[in-house]
Amino acid sequence: MTRLLVVEDEEHIANGLKFNLEAEGYCVDTEENGEAALRRLTSEPDTIDLVLLDVMLPGLDGFEVVRRLRSTGSFVPVLMLTARGETGDVLRGFELGADDYLPKPFDLSILLARIQGILRRKMWLANSAAEEFAELLDQYSFCGRRIDFSKQVMERAGVEQPLTLTETTLLRHLIRREGQVVRREVLLEEVWGVRQDTDTRTVDNFISRLRRAIEDEPSHPRHLLTVRGVGYRFVSKPGDAS
Amino acid sequence: MVLSEMRRRKVLFVGLLGALLIAVALALNIGWIVVNWRTGLWLLIGIISFAVLIAGLVLNTAFLIREIRTTEQHNAFIHAVTHELKTPLASIRLYLQTLHQRDVDPTRRKEFLETMLADSARLQSTIDQVLLAGKTGTATRVTNPIDIDLAEVVGECVTVAGRRHHLIDGEVEVIDRLPEGEDAVVMGDREELQAAVTNLIDNAIKYSGERVRVAVEVVKLGARSVAINVRDQGMGITRDELKRIFRRFYRIPGALSARVRGTGLGLSIVRAVARRHGGRAYAESEGAGKGSRFTLELPLKPL
Repeated sequence: MTRLLVVEDEEHIANGLKFNLEAEGYCVDTEENGEAALRRLTSEPDTIDLVLLDVMLPGLDGFEVVRRLRSTGSFVPVLMLTARGETGDVLRGFELGADDYLPKPFDLSILLARIQGILRRKMWLANSAAEEFAELLDQYSFCGRRIDFSKQVMERAGVEQPLTLTETTLLRHLIRREGQVVRREVLLEEVWGVRQDTDTRTVDNFISRLRRAIEDEPSHPRHLLTVRGVGYRFVSKPGDAS
Repeated sequence: MVLSEMRRRKVLFVGLLGALLIAVALALNIGWIVVNWRTGLWLLIGIISFAVLIAGLVLNTAFLIREIRTTEQHNAFIHAVTHELKTPLASIRLYLQTLHQRDVDPTRRKEFLETMLADSARLQSTIDQVLLAGKTGTATRVTNPIDIDLAEVVGECVTVAGRRHHLIDGEVEVIDRLPEGEDAVVMGDREELQAAVTNLIDNAIKYSGERVRVAVEVVKLGARSVAINVRDQGMGITRDELKRIFRRFYRIPGALSARVRGTGLGLSIVRAVARRHGGRAYAESEGAGKGSRFTLELPLKPL
């Protein structure tokens, strides 16, 4: 069951929200202040699907709550509700990591629709992660070459050439973003799972190895292009993307 | 939190800049004295000019710092009023839409209506407060004063406050210290006096925390004036804050204050009302945590 956390010091609004959200079939918990909410969200992560967060709370305000929450690595969706609806406040909320922002007084049906929207996006994300996993098994063909990701081989003119797991994964990430520049740091994080501040030469070395495997002339690559000072770009049909 | 941090930085910057300029001017002044120290007239002219320069810098820095503080307080006031106006409105709207869109059982419906009534009272009191602050903001005396029995006003205010804060008997008590058979009659504006007394009682209740013990007394001070004392055993006030709290928009910084709703207008209204009636308002406290006593002193109607 979807569980929401309402963080609101105004008892009347908290009760009104709880009544309506429960009527919509959600399970609702409430907290009156920022400290308690933060404790709840960090001590029991993944038990809450969405947080409705007021900004003007006693003690820690809502901005600070969302900032600290994000700094712990929690990505639970946060919808901020507040009487402070000026542009600066709204932008600040988003900058600190809120997913949506609704000024008070709000329209009940709009609030419910936004909650549904956020929860739907959350579900899509979960589903697309599963799809991405399924993509692992796929094959990909370009310019007379065929990559079989599951067998970790590249087939060209009937000749199969083995690839290592890292080479395959790196290639898959580049192919998935075909035509786009992918930064070295992003590749490091996605393929090797290491933090961004690690040495990025690892990526360069693997790109050289991949070029030797798939390019006709590794010193003049046509598919795995270097974008100087940034990263790499995969192009399936070199003629189109000069 | 961020607001006060920004203010502190601004004040620090202006203060440092001012101090630096004053130091430079002082150094130049000393240099001037050393260089011209036998020249009589030039020495005198130099010292006077430097003195004027330094005084100007001191005044300018003090003025800037005060202006920054006022602006920040003004911003804080706008935020507080926005919050105080929008929160009850948001609540009322939420309950109205709930009743409009859903089937609510009769007990719940009654509960929702009571909530909305309480919110509309809160909205009304904020609006009254802002309007009254505007009205009493001018320092002129009350126009068309009428005879007012202070003990009666105090009694009414205590009853209303008790109902609004859902108090039980004894939490706010009225102590009549007037001599037997005597009234305390003042000439003034009933609405303003009621607002002033209500503000004092509300503050005493709000800043008491969990345990409310408030005493309100009407005392004659000689033959010419009368005082309303409101005593509480709440969070108290430090010596530095005693005068500041009567300034418009000023709110004591700190944890309990952050939990107490308010616009920073209440005590400035009390002081303005006192002045418009030819009286004064002041606060006394033994210090933080030791409760406080607020006094509204008014001249009696001449016999």
